[in-house]
Amino acid sequence: MQDTTGVPAGHPPFRTVIHPGPLDSVRIAAMSDTRGRHLRLTLPSGRSIHESMVRALMDEGVTSASMTLLDGDLETLVFCLAQPDPSGQRVAMYGQPHSERNARFIFGNATLGKAADGSPSVHCHAAFRTENGTVRGGHVLTDKTVVGRRSIAVVVTALDSFELRIGYDDETRMPLMRPRAYEANLKAAHV
Amino acid sequence: MSEVRLIERGQMGRVAYARIAPNEDLVGAVEKVCVAQGFRNAFVRGALGSLTDACLENADGSPQLIGGPAIEIVSLAGEVRTRPDGSARAALTGVVADTEGHLHGGPFVAGANPVCVTFEITLEEWLPSSEQG
Repeated sequence: MQDTTGVPAGHPPFRTVIHPGPLDSVRIAAMSDTRGRHLRLTLPSGRSIHESMVRALMDEGVTSASMTLLDGDLETLVFCLAQPDPSGQRVAMYGQPHSERNARFIFGNATLGKAADGSPSVHCHAAFRTENGTVRGGHVLTDKTVVGRRSIAVVVTALDSFELRIGYDDETRMPLMRPRAYEANLKAAHV
Repeated sequence: MSEVRLIERGQMGRVAYARIAPNEDLVGAVEKVCVAQGFRNAFVRGALGSLTDACLENADGSPQLIGGPAIEIVSLAGEVRTRPDGSARAALTGVVADTEGHLHGGPFVAGANPVCVTFEITLEEWLPSSEQG
């Protein structure tokens, strides 16, 4: 389903998608900190990625972070894939979760932020090898994915001066993570 | 036998997080983040998100198209360097999962990887010793 109409020969196509909601005028929302704070975690076997990661980072006062997850075993892996929305309500959405036992986690990336209600939320994409040897990847449901015998190491870049917050995005009709100033900082800026 | 040389010494500086919206080009947007934040050189610390279609460069230079939507970026490595003319150039390679969960990997072709829903990236500034005051 590749529409390459109007693309010059030899040039790769660039397809523009039209999301159902009103266009957000901000196309790149970025914030920076003078320095990233780095930590290394080890996620133990028998617990979910989400539980161990959030507990360890909360203890360190980290609520927003970017993470690289390294090799390890997964007792239970639950993941899903992005697919076109059959209802046509959105351009893409996550399909049904797939579950695997005894997969090998190859590597992945994750973002820690806050859900709309303030609770910690982890967005994680990863590559893995299933028990039968197939290598696959996708969106990992970290609260349902349990670490196996070999623990998973996580390298964390903590963001301290601003937060990552999930909000409903009108344009895509999806809950999305964005950087946001802390409310205390916002108030200070308006004094 | 060629001589092994240490090319650059330096340290990490600032850190930036960006959310990139639909239809922005992956490579171009990462360059824009660095220009806007004043990062002359940067490393990708972490990134994830989705592309409408992915375009990776084959060994012979031809583009490999992976049709979506959506293609998930599973992992991404790379750096941004400022060239002598002041422009920023991002070199990004990565692994993507297609709509069946099959993986593909390679360098992302500039101007050919539109963001589908969202793309999150954390960049860390690289400060070579020669550029530090």
